[in-house]
Amino acid sequence: MRLRLILAVIVARLAMTASRLTGRGRGSSLPGRLALRICPDILKYYRHQPRKGVLMVIGTNGKTTTSNMLTGILRRSGNKVVANWEGANLMTGIVTAFVRAGNVAGRIDSDYAVLEVDEAVFPLLAGWIKPDLVLITNFFRDQLDRYGELDTTITKVLAALKKFAGQETLVLNGDDPLVARLAVESGLPALFYGVLPAPELSGGASSSREAKFCPLCGTTLQYTVYIYSQLGDYLCPGCGFARPCPDLEASAVLEEQSGVRAMVRYGGGRRELAVPVRGLHNLYNALAALCASLALQVEPPTAFAALGEYLPATGRMEIFHYNNRPVLLNLVKNPAGFNRALAVLLGNQGDARQEVLLAINDNDADGRDISWLWDVDFEMLALRPEKFSRFICSGQRAEDMALRLKYAGLPVWMVDIEKDCRRAVEQVLHGEGENVSILTTYTALWPVEKILSRQAKRVNSRDDYRLPSVS
Amino acid sequence: MTITVCHLYPDLLNLYGDRGNVTAFVQRCRWRDIQVRVKEINLGDRVQFEDCDFLFLGGGSDREQGLMAEDMMNRLDSLRAAVENGLAVLAICGGYQLLGQYYRLPDGTKVPGLGLMSHYTEAGDGRLIGNVIVDAELNGLKTRLVGFENHGGRTFLNDLTPLGRVAYGGGNNGVDQTEGARYKNVFCSYLHGPLLPKNPLLTDLLITLALRKKGQNHYLAALDDTFEQLANRAMIDKLLEKK
Repeated sequence: MRLRLILAVIVARLAMTASRLTGRGRGSSLPGRLALRICPDILKYYRHQPRKGVLMVIGTNGKTTTSNMLTGILRRSGNKVVANWEGANLMTGIVTAFVRAGNVAGRIDSDYAVLEVDEAVFPLLAGWIKPDLVLITNFFRDQLDRYGELDTTITKVLAALKKFAGQETLVLNGDDPLVARLAVESGLPALFYGVLPAPELSGGASSSREAKFCPLCGTTLQYTVYIYSQLGDYLCPGCGFARPCPDLEASAVLEEQSGVRAMVRYGGGRRELAVPVRGLHNLYNALAALCASLALQVEPPTAFAALGEYLPATGRMEIFHYNNRPVLLNLVKNPAGFNRALAVLLGNQGDARQEVLLAINDNDADGRDISWLWDVDFEMLALRPEKFSRFICSGQRAEDMALRLKYAGLPVWMVDIEKDCRRAVEQVLHGEGENVSILTTYTALWPVEKILSRQAKRVNSRDDYRLPSVS
Repeated sequence: MTITVCHLYPDLLNLYGDRGNVTAFVQRCRWRDIQVRVKEINLGDRVQFEDCDFLFLGGGSDREQGLMAEDMMNRLDSLRAAVENGLAVLAICGGYQLLGQYYRLPDGTKVPGLGLMSHYTEAGDGRLIGNVIVDAELNGLKTRLVGFENHGGRTFLNDLTPLGRVAYGGGNNGVDQTEGARYKNVFCSYLHGPLLPKNPLLTDLLITLALRKKGQNHYLAALDDTFEQLANRAMIDKLLEKK
């Protein structure tokens, strides 16, 4: 059997080299696919190798950012970490990460494995590798044609958790009732993180929010504050299920042009946190990574400092500069994430008018059904049209995007259609807006990023996250 | 004069962006200066279907659909009377199935429908998922409806008229080329997308029917439908013309 392993590793590594030499693809799934074909049980050779443990990050949104933040913190505190490449969160991508990190005999030298795992793959993966800690960020509706309904996804995750031995730790977003329920239902020990539900943070209820009803008993949930989507301070009048008292909680949240600040209370004290990426959702990601790393006994000053230097992965609120104008690049893949991105655009201060590019594809990885665009609250843009100069719609479903904006109430003269991504990027960079935002679905992100990185200067990202992932 | 739109169970049945159908109906009224108001009806709310001019019923997940069916049973007589009197209705996916005779589950159990129309649905082998193009005739005009289907049930029409014939995709059951159903002023379809924004001829027909119920028989003012036509056309080009 050892021979199959070595053969699998060699073939996979050849595929990696080939993809690097030809510059084709990002080489994150093919090597793993080949290795799995040759040695289907390859993961069992790796599962006990990380000396301190295997950590998995699941949830609909924020997986990549949270995993990268957690990896950054653990490395800064002197650990060696194996991690999968951004977005490569299926079995193939995870196998690729281990193969890349190890030698030809399949040996890896690492303290931790931090694995970003697709929620649909988690039950299967957990059958091969039992994690020591599972971090769950949130559950939102996502690509119904691929995952089916949200209820089904959560039920499968719960079934996998119920098979655990019982010593594993859950790190859960306590503000999301769909996540917090898993502590009650799995019976596993859990740590919760959250944001103090101050009324001034209340984003109001989105019409597409999940969890109108208690996940445990079906009674309509009562909220005192919605932070965004179904995240907030909830209570079930039927069975008493409620937002748990968080083990780590942020208050005094300040959203700035350069990032988010907050005061964080944790077991041993209080400390100011500054994360240099925009958006309240990224504060949640930072809290998740903090909560997990403190549970792993990382010293708080080290963890806070690592987050203070965090640089985003491709298309996660990434900032470029072009002709002295800031250009924001952000991936959008479901209504909750899209709403967060729109909230960031609307939060831009001052009178500067913004030029916006929306690139929507409908390949398998984007979801072939784009009806979710109608669950995004574009109506909020139409309430503040003076903040924008133009919306350019691009990608395979450019026309549908334009139509959505029209029915949201934006005047059609503000909406252009340019299906070709290259020309659309040119146009948005040379438009009259004083700052530029580009929001794209998954398969449109890479071509747009390629064009953009040739033309504009990257400000808050570094290449580390695109390079092999063992330090 | 104000048109009243009843949006049934928006809290329960909010999958697949179907609320976009209500948005499309409302906007196309407003752009013509037709007064319109939307009443959202949730579980247990009181509703008089006689006071309603357009009724929208979407689809939800299985659990939520069960809750909806139970609640609708209590309103059946009022709804039946309104439908027989010409109420304009759009029912999508689960809502469409509910208006029929029954839904037979894989284990053979028959879940009764409201029985307002004669179609019935049986659980199928696998789901029909993908883009759909339907050739339909609305108000004497031939048109191509586009949308996205995602359903496990196979619906059969008995003697009902289909909404149209499938030019691409699965349709009611993947076999007989029919898609959707019509009865009086009730329009049923499996198409999400949502259906109305990209198919303005259907939206305008529903508005016309709602106005007629108010005793208004005039023609609708034309609107600039450039984006609507581009979005509709793009899908037809992608699926049919370039094959």
